[in-house]
Amino acid sequence: MAGETAAPFLDVVGLTIRFGGLTAVGGLDMEVAKGSIHALIGPNGAGKSTTFNCISRFYTPSEGRITYDGRDITRMPAREMAGLGIARSFQNLELFAELTVFENVLIGAHVHAGRSWRDAISARPRGIVEHVEHLLERTGLSAYAQTKARNLDFGHQKMVEIARALAIRPRLLLLDEPAAGLRNREIAALDRLLCELRERDGITILLVEHVMQLVMSISDRITVLSFGTKIAEGTAAEVRAHPAVIEAYLGRETTQETPHG
Amino acid sequence: MDLQLALIFLQQGIASGLVSGSVYALLALAIVIIFKTSDVPNFAQGEVFMAAGYVALYLFVFQQMPIWVVLPATLLAAFLAMALFRRVVLDQVAKSAKDLVYLVIATLGLSYVLKGLVRRTGFGDTPRSFPALVPTDSVMIGQASVTLLDLAIFGTAVAVMAAFFWMFNYTKTGRAMRAVGMNPKAAQLVGVDLRRCHMLIWGLSGVISAIAALLISPKILMTADMGSIVMLAFAAAIVGGFSSLPGAVVGGFIIGIVENMVGLFISSRAIVLAPFLAILIVLVLRPQGLFGGKLTIKKV
Repeated sequence: MAGETAAPFLDVVGLTIRFGGLTAVGGLDMEVAKGSIHALIGPNGAGKSTTFNCISRFYTPSEGRITYDGRDITRMPAREMAGLGIARSFQNLELFAELTVFENVLIGAHVHAGRSWRDAISARPRGIVEHVEHLLERTGLSAYAQTKARNLDFGHQKMVEIARALAIRPRLLLLDEPAAGLRNREIAALDRLLCELRERDGITILLVEHVMQLVMSISDRITVLSFGTKIAEGTAAEVRAHPAVIEAYLGRETTQETPHG
Repeated sequence: MDLQLALIFLQQGIASGLVSGSVYALLALAIVIIFKTSDVPNFAQGEVFMAAGYVALYLFVFQQMPIWVVLPATLLAAFLAMALFRRVVLDQVAKSAKDLVYLVIATLGLSYVLKGLVRRTGFGDTPRSFPALVPTDSVMIGQASVTLLDLAIFGTAVAVMAAFFWMFNYTKTGRAMRAVGMNPKAAQLVGVDLRRCHMLIWGLSGVISAIAALLISPKILMTADMGSIVMLAFAAAIVGGFSSLPGAVVGGFIIGIVENMVGLFISSRAIVLAPFLAILIVLVLRPQGLFGGKLTIKKV
């Protein structure tokens, strides 16, 4: 057993997920270091999102163990993730369409709004409003605070998801294809935001991403999946040079946006 | 019919319509909050209303309990019954069956259970009336005659609805409920306990139905079939757009007024047709209901 400081922040051991006869992910081991940006890449259907949904507890693995900050979270209910400081975004946006941007982010702070009766009936718990405004500013959404989420363009909706995830005050942020469908300028802003979250806020980030431009620029470590198994792991440079990766992934796909789904 | 009489009828129709409409509005609200969050039309809402009326009747008339015990006890019973039904029955059904139609059938089951229970007690055999807590002296409003009881019904219903709107729109708990209605997956993600939230909503829906029962039961003859009044609440909810809270309330008042107008101007025998006529007219002119918002196509 490794010492306390050396133990990985998020430790995935032997993760196997089967849907009926199909093994989507088979025996995946992955360690995410505290305060790092870790990317999970691979061709479509490699099992990235499935792994992701397992870590955020929307799927329960068939086998394996997921440990977060020394706690076994393999079978915890999804709603307890927020309380533990794990936040996520979804590939296909899951916003509260009829609420304003402000309310969407405010509701992200749900777990911090207190458990007392007074807090339960208060519309805007103290301290939380300032935090939400601060998050809107950082994600460049201040101007849209009172706009209904459904009326925003795609790029801004993605930002709302990230802002809502941040309202949980996460220590681990799981982002499912945050750059998919974004324009170059928006990707650059996302790049800056994620680096800032790592440097300034010390948030550990695990992202699934197809946009190589982003992955290669920000990731401390990259895990490459193909057909549900890990084929390579390392820094951007190492992964880029890895023959299996070139064959399975980069050889087939360009380094620009690919359609996701 | 001369103009003078028509004017009196008009005023009377509106006044009486607002009173019965406020009860429909409450029940419609109870139906709509459940539909918004669970996507299930609760076909047992009428029987919950009926059973709550009988609980109050039993405690007040047969057990001679003081009214300050009877009222909270009835509301609590309705809350617990509905919250437990959600937690014990529906959660279980939802676990084994993916299709919502099973949940709908479970609510039909509840309606039969409640009706059967009340029938078994025998209290429902003779039609009874709950004693009025407010004097039934008449007062004139304009040229319409209403009783003090009518005013109390209307006032209480409006106060209950206002309190509920405040809760739903301006509190953390209400925000969690709205979040569950819009996107349960995301709500869970931000730490909303879906199970607890659903129990609370079903419980509150039971409380609202019980309030409706306590309000109207002095004015009607109570039988085990009095829950059929819920048809009018469904009509109100449909008129309002079925997923809109203000729509449910406005729909309730519309149904109440239309009913009374038809009774006064056409024939009391035509009253039963009135709500359905209102539904037809609204659905032809505005298929999404009055407050249904824009028609949208759901992406699959």
